[in-house]
Amino acid sequence: MHRKFMILTAAALVLGMSVSMAFALGGGNGRKGKFLYSKNCRSCHNGGTAADLSPADRTQAEWQATFSDMGKIKCSGDWTLSDEDINDIYTYLYDYAKDSPSPAKCS
Amino acid sequence: MAQTSRTLSRREFFKASGLLAAGALGGPALLGGLRTAQAATETMTPAWDSRFGVCDMCFNKCGLIARVENGVVTKLDPNPKFVKSRGMLCARGNAGISHVYDPDRLKHPLLRKGGRGEGKWQRIPWDEALDMAAQKMDEVREKYLPCGHLFTAGTDMQSLFVERLAEAYGSFNLTSHESLCLVSGSRAFLDTFGEVPFADVLHSKYVIMVGANRFEALVTPDSMDLMTAMREHGCKLVTLDPRYTKTAALSDEWYPIRPGTDMAFMLALAHVIVGEGLYDPQWIEEKTYGMEQLREHVKPYTPGFAAEQCGIPAEDIARIARELAAAAPASMVYPGRRSSDYEDSTQIRRSFAIVNGLLGNWDRPGGLLGARAVGLKGVPYDAPWYDDNHDDRIDAGKVPMMFEHEGSFMVTRDSILADDPYPIRGWFVYKTNPMATAPNRAKTIEMMHKMDFVTVVDIAMSDTAWYADLVLPSQSYLERIDPCSGLQGSSACACVVKRDPVIEPLYESRPLFDIVKGIAGRLDLGEYFDFTIEQFREKQLADLPGADGIMDRDGVYYNPSKVYGIYDGLVYKTLSQKVELYNQRYEQMGIDPLPVYTPPVQPPANQFRLVVGRNALVTQGSTTNNTLLHEFVPTNTLWLNPGPAGKLGIADGDLVEVSSAVGRQAIRAEVTDKIREDTVYMLTGFNTLSTQQRLAHGNGASIAEILDGGYDTVTGNAALHLTFVTVTRKVA
Amino acid sequence: MARQLAMVIDSAKCMDCKACVAACKVANHTPEGQWRNWIKLDDSPPRPGASNRKARFQPGACMHCDNPTCVAACPTGATYKDAETGEVVIDEGLCIGCGNCLPACPYHARFRNAEKRKADKCNYCPERRSAGLDPACVDTCPTKARVFGDINDPQSEAGRLYLANKERLARVVAATDTKPNMFYLGDPGPEHWAGEAVIPASMVALKQSAPLIKGIVALSGLGVLVMLGRQLLAGSGDSHSGSGPSGDKENTDA
Repeated sequence: MHRKFMILTAAALVLGMSVSMAFALGGGNGRKGKFLYSKNCRSCHNGGTAADLSPADRTQAEWQATFSDMGKIKCSGDWTLSDEDINDIYTYLYDYAKDSPSPAKCS
Repeated sequence: MAQTSRTLSRREFFKASGLLAAGALGGPALLGGLRTAQAATETMTPAWDSRFGVCDMCFNKCGLIARVENGVVTKLDPNPKFVKSRGMLCARGNAGISHVYDPDRLKHPLLRKGGRGEGKWQRIPWDEALDMAAQKMDEVREKYLPCGHLFTAGTDMQSLFVERLAEAYGSFNLTSHESLCLVSGSRAFLDTFGEVPFADVLHSKYVIMVGANRFEALVTPDSMDLMTAMREHGCKLVTLDPRYTKTAALSDEWYPIRPGTDMAFMLALAHVIVGEGLYDPQWIEEKTYGMEQLREHVKPYTPGFAAEQCGIPAEDIARIARELAAAAPASMVYPGRRSSDYEDSTQIRRSFAIVNGLLGNWDRPGGLLGARAVGLKGVPYDAPWYDDNHDDRIDAGKVPMMFEHEGSFMVTRDSILADDPYPIRGWFVYKTNPMATAPNRAKTIEMMHKMDFVTVVDIAMSDTAWYADLVLPSQSYLERIDPCSGLQGSSACACVVKRDPVIEPLYESRPLFDIVKGIAGRLDLGEYFDFTIEQFREKQLADLPGADGIMDRDGVYYNPSKVYGIYDGLVYKTLSQKVELYNQRYEQMGIDPLPVYTPPVQPPANQFRLVVGRNALVTQGSTTNNTLLHEFVPTNTLWLNPGPAGKLGIADGDLVEVSSAVGRQAIRAEVTDKIREDTVYMLTGFNTLSTQQRLAHGNGASIAEILDGGYDTVTGNAALHLTFVTVTRKVA
Repeated sequence: MARQLAMVIDSAKCMDCKACVAACKVANHTPEGQWRNWIKLDDSPPRPGASNRKARFQPGACMHCDNPTCVAACPTGATYKDAETGEVVIDEGLCIGCGNCLPACPYHARFRNAEKRKADKCNYCPERRSAGLDPACVDTCPTKARVFGDINDPQSEAGRLYLANKERLARVVAATDTKPNMFYLGDPGPEHWAGEAVIPASMVALKQSAPLIKGIVALSGLGVLVMLGRQLLAGSGDSHSGSGPSGDKENTDA
């Protein structure tokens, strides 16, 4: 029920914001997203090259805003991820955001 | 003085005459005895070494100093520099020696030989044990996919390695002890304030204690701080409890509230505070969301309504509301840590949180505080991904707002019994004992019988271990090196502790870390445990230079981070970014956005509601075999009010049978007017199935056998006050 | 001024957590079922509503009295009042375990140690003090309800409390006023639990004849033999257990 809710809310918010995007975000596989995040993003986002980043560092709305215009994400040009992978990563960050029902534990 | 001189003369006379009797009795030499007495006035090098440790007799990790003589701990003392516990060590902490040197400790790996629970074991070598654990886990994964294995870990400084093993292995099914404890309370406060608060009772002027029992149930900073607040700052304490607990006895006011009606009381407080405008309008305007909805919502919940429900006079409810509001923001409804009680426990706790919201006490002295920065870093790892796996946890989607990291033991158990939506056939358990703590023990036994293979790592033969296939002896908290742990003690401190061994490990015991490392290596997952605990700690402390040395010196490191005003300039971690009196997400999910009171079902005629309660001398099933604590709490009894006891012909000390819809137990009655007529109570942890708990087996009653297995419908937290029992005198 | 080691206790701070009792037990290896200290409980019936806010729990132990009836009851001088520190000391080398001192203490602070077969009671943890530590019960107390020290030393915490609160210090008064050195700040909590000092008639006689004591060696020698016999016959099973950890089993036989 909780995931369905997430999907609905995410979809509703996306629609509501009327942001044009290449594909609709939300409803991905957050668990796989966690794996993909570790594999692809953690190597820089570890407090070294880039800021240490956990889902709980931002609110769901902030993650939404971040991903609504991926061109503004500095490293996005270097990504070699499929749209599905990006959506999984987004879902992970969104599902465990700081104002989510299960905020990621501090890490 | 005349008396003294006479005495001395008599004394000298006997000394002079040599006191043959003393020598004949083989007593200590005369001079030896005198020397001891005189030595007391001079400071000497003690006979012991002093080493820092971190207590583990409950979950609060109080700093301690172990006094070690010839490799043996002879005394555990508080670490005076450990501000979080206000420099104390409680009775359980003092009894740690009996835990470490318990003759019933597990001494070597044991493999089940007979049927589950028959108690037939074979000693096997460690290598064989780890080979077998790994092989069986591999078989389960082969047959049922990675999620076909459940991992359960109690609260421990090494439990994070069980999570790591589960994730490396590929199972999402991990449960902690919390869904048998406090997640509904955490849920309610998180969903109101955006985080789970610490209570600054030290600076509070008015505290309402409901569903918590701070002076009796456990001794942590809040216990000491509340006492200091009362004795030195004139704080007023009002307690609602169906039992006359020690907390009740020490309170300014106590009301034996009807069980299950706490929410009515809270909504009536809100009714008075809102209706009479006893709040800070600016704070409510700036910091909260949903005041207008709340105003409408609480209209029917008058003190008169609550009085009928709770059995507390309406004028007292109204007066308490006014006093509480007058003391705001340095006043609170204590958030408590009590396990959940009813199917609407999250909503009950929401009503507590909402009253706190009205008091404007968040992030302010004497109110509820957010978590402070401790500075410890997480140690991330790149878990593997298995495409061939189930999509989600077995308990996923069955309650709307479970905590992903804690799971729900109750929902998981039901799901495993029904193979819904998939089978789980393997179970790895570390240092937690659901067989003794989860309601409806018969169901937990049934769950055990579903399993192909169960591995339990613990220090003693718990009831959960008793039903396992493989039992591995772990080390006590005085024998091992542990990762660092960040702790907060309300306003006292934010600090970091670590554990280093103070004595050599006993028997063949091994730390959990070595065990999971051994298993992981055999499953070709060694890369996830390719480090030592020292290296792990270095990573944790990367942002705290010098902290390690300070811990070596003081036994604890403090981070002097901000205590109050943490939220100045920041938004709350809720959807509205404010304190959510009205919860928007609940509305979207079809959950009551404001708590709606439903009167509890009353016990049928001649039955009682069985309530649970904690005791600072008992840590569930893990201390009832402790020789020292056993002297304080030798057994459990059934508290029964003299009124019904008389009608049932039950006298104090009589053996009675307590039976519920799911089980029955025999226990001695304690006939006392410290409990309501419609309620009975007993302690947990007694009458173990395991015969290797000599002081607890066959002693008293197991509450897990009698409690029925409902749960909170929002979080899946076990609901422990749903059980009605009959009590009959047992003919001896 | 001579020292007087004593405890100044705030009963109202006690929550009956038993930490002091457990700590004492471990520090002093007190045998199973025996206790050197206690917390007395107020057993007035529960009354809903506002309370009178009296102290409910009262920590205690040997009170190292100024008028120690136990000293008077001791036939060998094993129990004596240390003139330098004000402690009531048991010299184990001299104690014959006769048990006379047990009923002589109106607070039931003494018991016959089941293992050592000697009189036993609180000694303020001399081994700990010599290492610069507080007695175990004081060190471990969560709310610091127990404060220990020399009440004649205004620099010590106990002395400071003692001097600052002189007019509100209370003692638990036994039927026999032994002038205890255990001071409670204000309301001591449960009262009237202490009894009467019972000193064996033979000891009273001995006491009265004290000036002549050196002349009646034969009589006292006989007394020692009788007491020794009593102790040997008594074995370890009957030993006076002290009061329970909650002070609810006041056992005055000996």
